Amino acid sequence: MSIENLSSQTKNTTTILLNCFINDNEIVLEVPATYRLVDILRKKLDLTGTKISCEVGRCGACSVLMNGNLVNSCLLMAYQIQGSSINTIEYMSKESMNPIQQAFLEEGALQCGYCTPGMVMALKSLLSTNPSPSLEEIEIALSGNLCRCTGYNGIIRAVSRYIENSQSS
Amino acid sequence: MELNRKHSKRWFVRPDGAKKVTGQLKYLTDLTFPNMLYGRILRSGIPHAKIMSINTEKALRLCGVRAVLTYKDIPGLNGFGLIFPDQPVFCKDIVRFEGDAIAAVAADTDEIAAAAIKLIDVEYQPLTVMDSPEVALSNESISLHPSGNVLHRAEYKTIEDDEINQVFFSCHNVIEETYHTPRQMHAYMETEGGVVVPEKDGSITVYAATQHGFKDRMQLSRILNMDEKNIRVVSSPIGGSFGGKDELNVQPYASLLALTTNRPVKIHQKRNDSVIAGLKRHPMKITMKTGVDEKGKILAHVVRIVADTGAYATLGPAVLDFAVEHATGPYIIPNVNVEGVSVYTNNGISGEFRGFGGNQITFALESQLDRLAESLNISQYDIRLLNLRKTNDLGPLGQRIVPTNGAFDVLEQINHSSILNKPFSQTENRKLKGSGLAITMHGGGLGYGRPDPSGGRLALTKEGKIEIAFGFEEVGQGLIGSIEIMMIEELGCSKDDISIVIGDTGLVPPSGSSTASRSTNMAWQGIRTMKNPWLRELLSNASIVTEEKVENLKMGPGGIWSIDDDVTVPIITYKKLAQSLINLPTITSQYDFPTTPDPIVGGHYLYSFGAIAVEVEVDKLTGKVKVTDVEHTIAAGPVVNPMGFLGQIEGGGIMALGFTIMEDSLMDSGKYVTRNFDSYLIPTIKDIPSHTKVNAIETLVEGDHFGPRGVGEIGTVAVAPAIIAAIHDATGYWVNKLPISPEEILNALTKQNKGLFNQQSKELI
Ligand code: FES
Ligand code: FES
Repeated sequence: MSIENLSSQTKNTTTILLNCFINDNEIVLEVPATYRLVDILRKKLDLTGTKISCEVGRCGACSVLMNGNLVNSCLLMAYQIQGSSINTIEYMSKESMNPIQQAFLEEGALQCGYCTPGMVMALKSLLSTNPSPSLEEIEIALSGNLCRCTGYNGIIRAVSRYIENSQSS
Repeated sequence: MELNRKHSKRWFVRPDGAKKVTGQLKYLTDLTFPNMLYGRILRSGIPHAKIMSINTEKALRLCGVRAVLTYKDIPGLNGFGLIFPDQPVFCKDIVRFEGDAIAAVAADTDEIAAAAIKLIDVEYQPLTVMDSPEVALSNESISLHPSGNVLHRAEYKTIEDDEINQVFFSCHNVIEETYHTPRQMHAYMETEGGVVVPEKDGSITVYAATQHGFKDRMQLSRILNMDEKNIRVVSSPIGGSFGGKDELNVQPYASLLALTTNRPVKIHQKRNDSVIAGLKRHPMKITMKTGVDEKGKILAHVVRIVADTGAYATLGPAVLDFAVEHATGPYIIPNVNVEGVSVYTNNGISGEFRGFGGNQITFALESQLDRLAESLNISQYDIRLLNLRKTNDLGPLGQRIVPTNGAFDVLEQINHSSILNKPFSQTENRKLKGSGLAITMHGGGLGYGRPDPSGGRLALTKEGKIEIAFGFEEVGQGLIGSIEIMMIEELGCSKDDISIVIGDTGLVPPSGSSTASRSTNMAWQGIRTMKNPWLRELLSNASIVTEEKVENLKMGPGGIWSIDDDVTVPIITYKKLAQSLINLPTITSQYDFPTTPDPIVGGHYLYSFGAIAVEVEVDKLTGKVKVTDVEHTIAAGPVVNPMGFLGQIEGGGIMALGFTIMEDSLMDSGKYVTRNFDSYLIPTIKDIPSHTKVNAIETLVEGDHFGPRGVGEIGTVAVAPAIIAAIHDATGYWVNKLPISPEEILNALTKQNKGLFNQQSKELI
């Protein structure tokens, strides 16, 4: 059964009372247990910074952090995020723009920008555990994120820029 | 000049960047409205059939369903298409491809809409599937359209068929080959979608990505039987398009549903629907026969093109015309005989795609040159130089074009690329390395005989902003950034003074489509034409208000300044000036993309040039090709926006790398096999070369006042043949079919095993 079918079981679907933290806000929602995280974010909470593109876990546009780990929000269902803490792109610039985002801007690491939130989340996940990754580590970390516009060159430059900036500060 | 942050003046953060990196930007598929319904479209899922019956009753009975529509519910024309409206909004009695729409549903939730779609019963009587142009052209095939299965024929001949054979007899060497190119998918990350909102006055606002809002409006007006002035199309921002969102996609369905239910309706296609219903790059089969004299001068060139256009026309005719025009590329060939045909089939629809037919034909043409060079034992560079067009030569269809040295400039510069002059290291003995180059010439704008107008408006607003309005769209290419840079430089105001309005038919003058690498040039022309008359009006108004002499005034950051050098503040701010005026200075203009004076339909006038050098590594055990280094040299006039330029060329280059080594929308009997990114593979960060360099040649021939050419396409066109040349350099094997198949290379390597070692200079590494 496809994931879409699971979430579309509107009738006879077990609903759960979902309780979790999204960007530090406590959320309580009654949703079908199989409702996807990406739909909770985009449809229920209007957090549309998390994008949707392939819905099969391949493109990374929907990447968010769950308890600090990078996940594809199109593959996670409500019951799987019960009690967890989710951070989305909106969280990244809550106070001021995150240095990763800054580096993206300065290097022009985006064009249409649709992949950008997912890219930023993937890099956030990498850089918080490994502040100066090698090119190979960057490539591995971003290999689950597709970008059709930039050809990735700008994104790689942005990561180098970020590393440079953070080392010099 | 190498383009990068260090070497480029005007390396500015893009104005729409901050909202994109923070996720705040609302794409049109991110919008919601109060009381909004969700729409879904039922696609046939079958490539060719008669429709016996459509029953929507069960779907209508599902709780939460608000409307189910079929062909019966279309008030106006049941058809769309940029040139020929031959694609039904909803099929009535015949299905011509898997993505044909049968019905559409609006429901309270997306999930209910999805469930309702499954409850619509359609009875089909399958018909024989014509899954290739050959089958569609055979005598037994039935006609998909009243005119038959030939959509379009195009030709360019300086010599007739029988006479050119004589020339081949006199040639020293002749190469004849057939090339195949894949059905590439645009693979924009944002799938088609948007929201249509019915307004209180009976009008509708269509928030949906398109590259030509005004054309959408015109087509919607025909379908909805509604006056154009009651339809407003908001068409930006767009999460990628590359030509793929120029035709209507979800707009007719969401509009019909919104009008029926009188509620906002959102449709955001699933990737699966996007794949089956969306446009692709035309697969082409190209046969070329090219003859040279003993020095390598090309004497004769015969080209036959067969393009699979799929079920409906879209821009198929223009794509074929473009391929025919570019069949000789930047070379002067005395005897040319080109014929092309695009054919309707039951395959997915082919339409507009970055490069517009140029990529396919350039792959074939450049490969021919390389084979001829090899047969004469001369270099890739020498054969090109010998045949290259000169500054004042006519264009490829014999039409006058703007004099240009672009071809020579890019060839010279790429020939110095370190990639081509690198001694390959001898470390890894599993890999074969090689390098190669290719060049191209690519027309901008729509070409002679195709209306190619544009318009802009420059105004001082009540709020004291200098507002520039164009009908173009921001598809990601960085147009907003380019307009901002041009405004600051032409007018002398600051970034904060400017307000840029694009992509909204309710607010902007018609400017034509954001296609054919035309937007930057059109915006540049618009700003230049409007600047002086508008400035005169602005300054004379300022002079009245400030009682300063008009000759002492100029525009500057924040307001109107005295021309005196030692002042530190403006005499009057734009805001104050705006508040003191009753009639705010406003100017609108209409102008056309420059066209050749010679009446040759489709012939271009402005061309840009590109050259590419690549290095590849071929894995002897797997046959896999990895592109390890790339250098682009682009001659497209002055660089307006280096960051945008660089992004377009790098991104376009990688998209073309995908076209060459991995991408193919596979179809089996008229059905897509590769339906998502798990089977249709586009390049990831692991597939790109570790190094990419982009050079821009900005010089134009003296007297060329046409300014910057667009660069949306040029970085994609010559990548394939450069990679093919590099593979040949590495292995001695010529690839004729894209995407390159590792199995084929492996087979070739095995077969020529011994021969391979003997090739001059191609030792195993
Ligand atoms: S939408 Fe989740 S990975 Fe593509
Ligand atoms: S910037 Fe468009 S997909 Fe990455």
